[in-house]
Amino acid sequence: MHIPDGILPAQVCATGYALTGLATWYSLRQINRTPDPSQGVPKAALLTAAFFIASSIHIPIPPASVHLVLNGLLGCVLGYYAFPAIVIGLFFQAVMFGHGGLSTLGVNAAMMGIPALLAYHIFQGRYGLASRLQPKVAIAGFAFLAGAIGLGIAVLIFFGLVLTTIPFGFDAATERTAVLVLVLTHIPLMVIEGIFTTLLVLFLERVKPELLQNEW
Amino acid sequence: MTLTEQRFERDRIALASEPESQLAIAVNSLNFSYPDCPHVLQNIDLQVKVGERIGVVGANGCGKTTLFMLLCGILRPTMGVVSVLGRPVLPEEFRPDMGLVFQNPDDQLFSASVWDDVAFAPCNMGLSPDEIEQRVTAALALTEVQALAARPPHHLSGGEKKRVAIAGVLAMRPQILLLDEPSAQLDPRSRRQLIRLLDSLPLTQLIATHDLDLALELCDRTIVLNQGQIVYDGQTERIMSNAELLEQYALESPLSYSRPYCQLDHAPN
Amino acid sequence: MNDVQLLPFMLLTVAMLYAASRLPVAYLLSRLRYPGFFLLGIVGLLPFLSGKTVIWQWGMLSVRQEGCLATALIATRFFSIFTLGLILLGTMPFMTTVRSLRSLGLPIILADMTLLTYRYLYDISGNLSTMQIGMQLRGFRSQKQSVAWLIPNWLDLKRLASLAGTLLIRSYEQSERVYKAMRLRGYGWDEGQWGVGKAGGDREMGRQGDAEIMQNAKCKMQNFSTSSTRRSFSPHLLISLSPHPRSTLALTLTLLIAAGFVIADILL
Repeated sequence: MHIPDGILPAQVCATGYALTGLATWYSLRQINRTPDPSQGVPKAALLTAAFFIASSIHIPIPPASVHLVLNGLLGCVLGYYAFPAIVIGLFFQAVMFGHGGLSTLGVNAAMMGIPALLAYHIFQGRYGLASRLQPKVAIAGFAFLAGAIGLGIAVLIFFGLVLTTIPFGFDAATERTAVLVLVLTHIPLMVIEGIFTTLLVLFLERVKPELLQNEW
Repeated sequence: MTLTEQRFERDRIALASEPESQLAIAVNSLNFSYPDCPHVLQNIDLQVKVGERIGVVGANGCGKTTLFMLLCGILRPTMGVVSVLGRPVLPEEFRPDMGLVFQNPDDQLFSASVWDDVAFAPCNMGLSPDEIEQRVTAALALTEVQALAARPPHHLSGGEKKRVAIAGVLAMRPQILLLDEPSAQLDPRSRRQLIRLLDSLPLTQLIATHDLDLALELCDRTIVLNQGQIVYDGQTERIMSNAELLEQYALESPLSYSRPYCQLDHAPN
Repeated sequence: MNDVQLLPFMLLTVAMLYAASRLPVAYLLSRLRYPGFFLLGIVGLLPFLSGKTVIWQWGMLSVRQEGCLATALIATRFFSIFTLGLILLGTMPFMTTVRSLRSLGLPIILADMTLLTYRYLYDISGNLSTMQIGMQLRGFRSQKQSVAWLIPNWLDLKRLASLAGTLLIRSYEQSERVYKAMRLRGYGWDEGQWGVGKAGGDREMGRQGDAEIMQNAKCKMQNFSTSSTRRSFSPHLLISLSPHPRSTLALTLTLLIAAGFVIADILL
């Protein structure tokens, strides 16, 4: 799910960096509004490290196994810190492991980070429905949506970008169909990501509920 | 010949005259190197009889944990063979007859409740629900943590976590127990409970520790590792009373040897 | 940069820069392996799909000129950018990189987060592998029996979620300890307010738990910082690092050149 260096034209990379700059600025502005912005820094930093390591866990889906992206979950747990977290995590992945690249850092961060912020807002939606649903059901449902949608949008952007910028020689209609087909084939992955996010959120809710309570 | 020496002699003869019983662990000329760190372990030869309790002592980084990882097949030896209960240890093979208790119990406790965590290994062994239930109950009772069954492991105290971790391994019904620094970070009472528990378990045990008092109390035989080699293998009392040798290997005589005047009636005025 | 004739020059420039950096070639090759294969996986089909000019045909398979050019273009671009990044970061200690980025205006929160993430990345990865060994020794193997293809084993999924959750909780708990330790050594106070904050903290240290001290300190922080409109906290994690003008210059130049390329690309 990382776009490597060299595939995208320079304008797209620059646009990615612009979007990432904007989203980082917005996130930092929200963080600076909290009474003590430094308080969340160690938490966000260590969880950033933990998330990027947790995303290396193999999830067995017979006959193969996959890595999860966990950007929806990251949004649920870190709130507005999720975007800086993703920028930093992707920076390390690019520098240390060669996943993604420095020129595409902006695009990749926007591709995963903006859905993460969206997932955070979806997950916060559980408070609105808490009166009508059982709290546990609400948490499970919204966690599923956050996880699945967080990945879904990232997949959509990924294939959209890759297919439209690499000159495969398809016409516009074929490209649209190809994007649609590729996204559809990723629906099982989105479901698994959603289920895994739900299981994990329920685990956190049971063992360490304060990890899920970040409100602005 | 002093009284203690006489006792050592008697023990030695008793050991030597015992009929050759089945070996729990047999290690032959074991060598291990990491790619960036050669000779982590060199020429390790070790025979452990069924039912023996052995202390493994040595400085930090002398290879204790690596030895345990090799014994249970997590690491593959660069040279040499490890066999456990007469069967060679193969990486990727699940051996419920051998259990490793990690130094940090948090490394082992990952489930949402104590019960789930202790049931983890029995589930993986494919046992029936009744059998799982029975094993978990027995393991929890043995380690005296029945009352904690429904609690999340993260909220337990250090001593409780340690006992739950041991319960999680005992639920496999292993015949050999490897313990890495079991008494680290325990308060005296938890440590005492742990010693009683280990003393009561009729299993072959290897205990890696810096707590020489514990080794002295539990283990008849002690191995000293230094820079990846076994530099002493014999009776615990003998090495513990040799302060010079211990110091050479970054160890220190247990209090009960180095300061016998701790008992009031022996104290100098 | 759609001009194919420029490609050899790009490669030559990169090669010269790499030679000047005196990094070993084996380092480049070892770093190139994973992303290189990944890239080939994406663009490997291009020569067979893209374009109309067939330059070689074998049965159904035809190699097309436009596709080959596109592949060469992408591969060269990838190689150049990747190698330049490696030269830039491989010749600079990581701390210097962060310090230089900070001089270029990287927000303090990001700089501190980056340093802390870097500090604990290996710790946490060690935690995960130890926990995985612990699971394996108690018989956990993923990819066990499953109902059907594409349907993961429910119990395995639950266990892996617990594993990931435990990793997050352990990191979170560690971060709380780290934060307390940092706070007790002055992290987060404005530099001008150190004296006041410390004196207050010392007085109360004796009879209160540290959580309360934090709470008090935070209230004080708020009281003091209302006077200044811009709330800032000092970059304590970078305090020991002096600015590094040469590295900062190198980063600035790289960024300017990159910006130049983008502008040229849009204009031409």
